[in-house]
Amino acid sequence: MGRIDRRLLQNVDWALLAIAVGLVVMSAVTLASLHVGRAGGSVVVRQLVWFLVGLVALILLGSLDYRRLVRAAPAIYLLGLAGLVAVFVLGRTVSGARRWVVFGPLSIQPSELFKVCFLLMVVWAITSRWAQPVGKLTLVLTLPIVAVPVVLIIKQPDLGTALLLVPVLGILLVGAGMRLKLLGGLVLAAVAAAPLAWLALKEYQRERILVFLDPFRDPLGSAYNVIQAKIAIGSGQLLGKGVAGATQSRLAFLPERHTDFIFAVFAEMWGFVGCLILLLCYVLLLLRGFDIAASAREPVGRLVALGATSLIAAQVLINVGMVTGLLPVVGIPLPLMSYGGSSMVASFMTLGLLLSVRMRQFQ
Amino acid sequence: MTFPRRSLPSRRDPGHRRVMVIATAVTLAFLVLIGQLWYLQVLEGGRFLDASDKNRIRVRPIAAPRGILFDRHGTPLVDNRPAFTLSLIPRELPREVESRDVVLGRVAALLHIPYQELLDAVARVQPDSLLPVRVRRGLTLADVAKVEEWKLELPGVITEVEPQRVYPTSRFAAHLLGYVREASDEQLKQGRYRRGEMVGQTGLERLLDEYLRGQDGGERIEVDAMGRPVRRVQQTEPHSGAQVVTTVDRAIQEAAERAMEGHAGAVVVMDPRNGDVLAMVSTPAFEIDRFTGTIERDAWLRVVQDPNFPLLNRAIQSQYAPGSVFKVLVAAAGLQEGSLTPLDRTHCTGEFHLGTSTFKDWKDGGHGTVDLHNAIAQSCNIFFYEAGLKIGGAMIVRYASAFGFGQPTALDLPGEKSGLLPKPQIVRGRSGRTWPAGETVNMSIGQGTVLVTPMQVARFMSAIANGGVLWRPRLVQRVERPDRVVWSDQGQVSGHVELSPVVWAFLRQSLWSVVNDGGTGAAARIPGLDIAGKTGTAQMIAKSKAEKGQDHAWFAAFAPMKAPEVVVVVMVERGGKGGQVAAPIARKILNAIFFERVAAVETSG
Repeated sequence: MGRIDRRLLQNVDWALLAIAVGLVVMSAVTLASLHVGRAGGSVVVRQLVWFLVGLVALILLGSLDYRRLVRAAPAIYLLGLAGLVAVFVLGRTVSGARRWVVFGPLSIQPSELFKVCFLLMVVWAITSRWAQPVGKLTLVLTLPIVAVPVVLIIKQPDLGTALLLVPVLGILLVGAGMRLKLLGGLVLAAVAAAPLAWLALKEYQRERILVFLDPFRDPLGSAYNVIQAKIAIGSGQLLGKGVAGATQSRLAFLPERHTDFIFAVFAEMWGFVGCLILLLCYVLLLLRGFDIAASAREPVGRLVALGATSLIAAQVLINVGMVTGLLPVVGIPLPLMSYGGSSMVASFMTLGLLLSVRMRQFQ
Repeated sequence: MTFPRRSLPSRRDPGHRRVMVIATAVTLAFLVLIGQLWYLQVLEGGRFLDASDKNRIRVRPIAAPRGILFDRHGTPLVDNRPAFTLSLIPRELPREVESRDVVLGRVAALLHIPYQELLDAVARVQPDSLLPVRVRRGLTLADVAKVEEWKLELPGVITEVEPQRVYPTSRFAAHLLGYVREASDEQLKQGRYRRGEMVGQTGLERLLDEYLRGQDGGERIEVDAMGRPVRRVQQTEPHSGAQVVTTVDRAIQEAAERAMEGHAGAVVVMDPRNGDVLAMVSTPAFEIDRFTGTIERDAWLRVVQDPNFPLLNRAIQSQYAPGSVFKVLVAAAGLQEGSLTPLDRTHCTGEFHLGTSTFKDWKDGGHGTVDLHNAIAQSCNIFFYEAGLKIGGAMIVRYASAFGFGQPTALDLPGEKSGLLPKPQIVRGRSGRTWPAGETVNMSIGQGTVLVTPMQVARFMSAIANGGVLWRPRLVQRVERPDRVVWSDQGQVSGHVELSPVVWAFLRQSLWSVVNDGGTGAAARIPGLDIAGKTGTAQMIAKSKAEKGQDHAWFAAFAPMKAPEVVVVVMVERGGKGGQVAAPIARKILNAIFFERVAAVETSG
């Protein structure tokens, strides 16, 4: 036992952890400079508390064998779905969306945690013997896994998280060896179904997409976020305005500046050079993740690592893409940077899965 | 792309290869993000920095209060009061024309402002200007409340507080003070004013605009996303305009305006000892308070197109035949030149024949036998027809000229008319000039080609009262800033008329009789005050029956007779007979001066 433990510890990816902690530090510094709410410090303190909770989750998941987790995936997945349903029963409404379940002083966002459950479930389904060889049948098997939660999450409504699940599923299917032609056909079908989806969207969600297409549709209304974020980012210029000079962020021109739009705050304060460093951290983190996937010696480990990495990658790309005006505004936080407990814990759980795969790749 | 290679599976493993493809795709996606950041922060960074500065800095001009105009006793003639102004900030209006027009439409509906007016206001300036465009001044509190209530729906629409002129009454001293309005497009073209600046357009406000204007201040304020001020970045204090001390006596001005109510015409009250204008009234007057600030187009057109010309300052800008008031001048010329003596008599039958023409007296059947004294008191025309012919046209014109007729009084106000004196006609074939007798006959009773302004009559009457000194009428005593006097007018004598003391005494005595000894001016009589004066009825050449009897009524007086302190000239357009219409008005004014505000006049010297 001790022998195995030492073996496992030797393979802990300290670089991955160091980068993650570095990102959390940047998050804390950014949040501290914002003075959100009455007690400026409380957001930072809370974020750091959640960071500790996340570390515990990471150690917990890392010490568990990922293969056992995948075997238990159906149960975990059902638990996750129960959490999503619980939102409708116990949920608290914040600015028109029921995304949170409140336990005493804590409010948890089940859709954030569900992402990890979803990941395990998809790996379980793809690697199950009914799904072999990977092809049409696999597709048919995995579609309900994504369809049920997407409907539930869209109902909350939380369009961003729902949309996030689809590319993660796609990447896992590609990683498992599905032919690209088949996947391409699926994408085409999705595009064809888009008008239907349009009907299902809430008014504000439609408005956001229209605003993305034409930001000056309503500069003080829904396009306000995008315009103000662009001004914040652009005005940072090469070297940034520093903490004191970041008027866009500090004078509250930027909405949701401590959560989804935290990247714009960072960009205003530290400029292009700062953004480059931040994005480089994410790229390094992701490349470590892809390396873990690539060096995994069996398909379950590879898919878990690939799924975990692509989950983080998709969130970072979509978040930075929407804040910089490349993508429509959908509510997706920037992993490890945005304020929010559930997101923080979910991110560290994802990293825990990666560590679990890495530590056991030589067994 | 190189990866840390600790992995054991070979490159050819299909699973491994697929991971590499995905990793490459993700890395490329990051490159796209970096490209976008390069574009936003480095290529367009300057523009966004500018935008973020404009986001947080708002420039708010602080209008300087206009200087106050005081009367001779230090009572304000006009004051300032804070007034609400509706302004548009072009840069904060919605950028899209459609949604901008929705906002403007809302404003128009809320405040009942013509929509076109708002569109015009916005069209005149740059769309990204941060300076407020003033749309309407003098909002009511209810209007301001409406704008505030709809604030979120009205981006770029603000209410500002600015000092605005306030007058004792709606038409108080309208022509004298003049109105203040935003610089017109033409004035802007001259380049002396900024858009939205308040400029004195007529009267003293225009004459003294540079002193009254003051210097606007401004502040740069940092605001947050809701437009709430966070801190003041920079401020320059406004400097209010200089104060003007006029020669006007507000009580007299008000009394004169009250006395003229319901009549069209003019009143000038002057101090014969120094030429100070104590009151100047022209009726009908325009509503000066409505003219100040922004006036609705309709109201403006109504005033401009009013057939009664309320904008005209009748005291200096209208010319009338002086009528019998002119007889005083004819008498002076005749007495001084020896063509007339107080002993001369004429039998007035009511008609006078010259060649084939017949000139009539105003009184049917005539006045019987009259001497000069009676002729003045009774205003006998026949006597003066004969006297005029004896004196000669040239001599009358010379005296008229000496008393300042035919030349502007050089009063401070712009637009003064100079009146008209007949010119001798050059007779063909012979060198020399001659006066047609008919012309002279007409002129001797103040008809024909003689035209005067009420202000000229006041100066003339002052000269009669003070023994021949022609004062330039003075309206402004001084302009002062808190630390020093920047402009002052000590008064100025513009001419002397030398007449024998006997003649002055005779004229004053005769004019006293006009009022106090059964003369035509009996209606001006106030027991206890020795008023001297002369009535005048300037005949209009009746073009139709309706115009008959619509003569201009004059009354020019001074008091007290022994040591004159005030001259009052009243002219009522189409009023009828001077003695019946103008004299009672003068009486009211004199009564107010001497019996309602005794103390004020005593200190006025």
